[in-house]
Amino acid sequence: MKRIVLVIGMIWMQLLAFGQKNVRYDLYIRDTTVNFTGKERHAYSVNGSIPMPELHFTEGDTAEIWIHNELDTETSIHWHGLILPNEQDGVPYLTTAPIKAGKTHLYKFPIVQNGTYWYHSHTGLQEQGGMYGAFIIHKRDEKPMQEYTLILSDWTDMKPEQVHRRLHMANDWSAIKKASVQKGAVQSYGDAILSGRLKTKLGNEWKRMLAMDVSDVYYNTFLSNGKPEIQAPKFKAGDKVRIRIINGSSSTYFWMRWSGGKMDVIASDGSDVVPVAVDRFIIAVSETYDVVVTIPSDSTAFELQATSEDRIRSTSLWLGDGVKQLVSPLQPLKYFEGMQMMNDMIRMNGNLDDMGMNMSLQQMDMNVVMYPEITGALPKKNKKHNHMDMTNGDQYKSNDLSDIVTLNYNMLRSPVKTTLPDVKTTVYQFELTGNMNRYVWSINNKTVSEADKILIRKGENVRIILYNNSMMRHPMHLHGHFFRVVNGAGDYSPLKNVLDIMPMETDTIEFAATESGDWFFHCHILYHMMSGMGRIFTYENSPPNPQLPNPEKALKKLYADDREFHFMFQNDFATNGNDGEMMYMNTRWNLQAEWRLGYDKMMGWETETHVGRYIGKMQWLYPYVGFDYRYRKMEMGETERNLFGQVNTKDQRAALCFGIQYTLPMLVIADFRIDTDGKLRLQLMREDIPLTKRLRLGLMYNSDFEYMGSLKYVLNQSFSLSAHYDSDMGFGGGFTFTY
Amino acid sequence: MKKIQHLMLGMLLLVAFTSCAAPIKNAKTESFKVAGNCEMCKKTIETAANKKGISAAEWNKDSKILTLQYNAEKTSSDEVLKRIAYSGYDNEKFLAPDDAYAKLAGCCKYDRMKKEVAVKEPVTKVENTTESAQEQAAETSLLEKVYTAYFALKDALVKDNGVEASAKSNNLVKAIKAVDMSKMSAAEHTVWMKVEKDLLEHAGKIGETKDLENQRKHFSLLSKGMYDLVKVFKADQTMYLQHCPMYNDGAGADWLSLENAVKNPYYGSSMLTCGKTTETIK
Repeated sequence: MKRIVLVIGMIWMQLLAFGQKNVRYDLYIRDTTVNFTGKERHAYSVNGSIPMPELHFTEGDTAEIWIHNELDTETSIHWHGLILPNEQDGVPYLTTAPIKAGKTHLYKFPIVQNGTYWYHSHTGLQEQGGMYGAFIIHKRDEKPMQEYTLILSDWTDMKPEQVHRRLHMANDWSAIKKASVQKGAVQSYGDAILSGRLKTKLGNEWKRMLAMDVSDVYYNTFLSNGKPEIQAPKFKAGDKVRIRIINGSSSTYFWMRWSGGKMDVIASDGSDVVPVAVDRFIIAVSETYDVVVTIPSDSTAFELQATSEDRIRSTSLWLGDGVKQLVSPLQPLKYFEGMQMMNDMIRMNGNLDDMGMNMSLQQMDMNVVMYPEITGALPKKNKKHNHMDMTNGDQYKSNDLSDIVTLNYNMLRSPVKTTLPDVKTTVYQFELTGNMNRYVWSINNKTVSEADKILIRKGENVRIILYNNSMMRHPMHLHGHFFRVVNGAGDYSPLKNVLDIMPMETDTIEFAATESGDWFFHCHILYHMMSGMGRIFTYENSPPNPQLPNPEKALKKLYADDREFHFMFQNDFATNGNDGEMMYMNTRWNLQAEWRLGYDKMMGWETETHVGRYIGKMQWLYPYVGFDYRYRKMEMGETERNLFGQVNTKDQRAALCFGIQYTLPMLVIADFRIDTDGKLRLQLMREDIPLTKRLRLGLMYNSDFEYMGSLKYVLNQSFSLSAHYDSDMGFGGGFTFTY
Repeated sequence: MKKIQHLMLGMLLLVAFTSCAAPIKNAKTESFKVAGNCEMCKKTIETAANKKGISAAEWNKDSKILTLQYNAEKTSSDEVLKRIAYSGYDNEKFLAPDDAYAKLAGCCKYDRMKKEVAVKEPVTKVENTTESAQEQAAETSLLEKVYTAYFALKDALVKDNGVEASAKSNNLVKAIKAVDMSKMSAAEHTVWMKVEKDLLEHAGKIGETKDLENQRKHFSLLSKGMYDLVKVFKADQTMYLQHCPMYNDGAGADWLSLENAVKNPYYGSSMLTCGKTTETIK
């Protein structure tokens, strides 16, 4: 008898050792109401919490995760960084069936790796609303060590759909909100003059750029495991703690700093690296880093602070118990220094120019010019901008400029060789492209839906050379694979699944094609992904995916994300009439309508409607066809004559027109058109010139000798006070409503 | 008439009242221990704590107690104490960031409330571009010994040690006399001839006395000559020209140092970190 027990015991032990264990989790997704800022807002909770529960596995387990969708909309869960069968990847319509409202879906896959990962919704903008959680896989023979999982996120009181729509309108409400926390974020002409940087601001607009910013969205708060601050009081002096840090935010990079000395970085995106001690590091959206910190003393809580890259706010984890040892706040960005840097780096045609500095792997951070802790506080008096020595870029190497050691990708080294099998390698060149003003994001100027899937062959290697020709950094994420980030470690180049690439950088990543099916490669800034910044890698001769019986129809649903049209509306209700416009636009197409409606016949009524398509990478050119209608009662014998000598005597006019709009330097829109009556018109217009934080100037002049000047004072995201003078309608004042 | 007088009086009172102190609504008063040394500390602490109409604080230099009055609906004592810590001062709730403490003036460098570090951080080697040692091995300056003696003199003054200063200054005199002029370039020679006499005079005067005040007067003049030398003779190390704005009734005085951190030789311990680096000489 004893023997049998022993044998059974041994078998059981062996099973444990091999981890042949089914680990089951049940996740119930529900709508919920949260209150982070004093206002109640809708969010998603899973098993009653935000973030979603922390899932733990051991390498060798089989994960069995039941998703119970109790929402009235569909959802999905993607397992970020996991190597798994394609249909378990969780990209709805691409790899996995969407989980319809009220339905339950089973994900089941073997766990074949270890490290720090996470999971999140891959449907619409649900991730912003709270659907993110930690996915931790322990090594089989892991030495016991104290650890703590920290998942960071960003929270906005605005509905994510509204955030997305407003980004496409180039509305600077977000900057105004930021400026109410930290002066100067709008970078208005007023700010420029006060800090003696008018020339910089003019140079910036001359090159058709909007205000400098490192992130697009204003967030009300940042969260550590779902709270603005969290405590982990159990740690004592001398404890070495492994902190698993996950950036589960939708569009926020965080600076990580610790008040207890240096941090040893031991893993990135789940895979181990040779430990490297740093003072700080930036964690890109969707990256994970594991660090080991040592608690220096008792009766003290040490701060691990995550500050948003725009430095507007931060969130903290306190390790230890007692009096709190603070980290100094990061000082505000020197925006005009950054603007000058961009002016130097951008060519007149809108392309970036790295001046031959061969930037890569976060080693040269152009933004250091904006970091007071690296490049010094702002001089009291404006010193003449000294043109830097552009030959080697040393002035951007953060670690050479100060004693603060900042992690970059060239400091990551795998403990084991990561070389790929010696087989055929196909190379792809990806240029990351974007248009800030219209919030279009793409690769090689094509969005996901505009580009073909990229066919790859199992057994070969894929190398991607990325060049970031846009003005923002992008965390590029590959599903279902680890790639090597080719760096100075050579054969020991680190393995990652997210690559943060800064403007003007060129980075090379490569992976062995060992899977099958469709895999998404995309920017993990949620709003960039939804705007189309990505590609699909498809393995040739993949077996049909049982979860997607009609793959073509399914793909159209995926493509719908970046084909989405956005609507905006604005009307000025003034004493002398209504003046407004409306747009309905997507990546390339724009249906515009403008109107000027007077209150009587002499003032007249006038509308113009256009449909057109933006041409080129920078989208400065917009040819259109349209329809005009105008009624204005003229005085007896009154004629209107234009610059081209053409005469109009009619009260009423209806005509088709053809024209082109072109964005000139200083963001002036030139509109040249001809209508079916043969009439020509050239118009120059510039709207929303930021004079101060909230004051905007608009100017217009055209060859019919019509002109307009307007001032708007932005009250809130929907309303502005306005005053304008218009050659047709005279002086007027009122308010402008913007949607 | 009476009515008007009353009204006037009322208005006057109102003006007087609002102008003397913005009253704090929902006021709550609490006391906290806040570290600090001197009057300057008091000013920094109170400036950090006070917010018009929201919080007002008074710090007692001797008892180290901060009496804080604040609007409990608008702020919290934690928020105020955090601001104080950010300005460099440890208190019972928050310890100042190390960089904020480091920025405090010398007289304000109080004994920290921080616990001794129990464990040494295991620091993994980080690749840092260190200037190669080769550069340092380049030919040593002709004035190497003069510089060394000067810095020893300066350090003695920093320590307020008149006896040591006198001895070090005598060493300096010897070093100056021992300089081999034959190896100098034309430019170097010109400068040397110009300042040598002054240097010997002031170094000699410092050596003759043990009176710190007298020594410092000559040290300021000596430093002028040294600066002229440093500008022309290549030194082996980076030097910093530092300036004390207060010395000699606000006329100010300069000195040279091997480190960027200010240690004022004109006032020594009474105002050790007063001053700033005005030039870096490589």
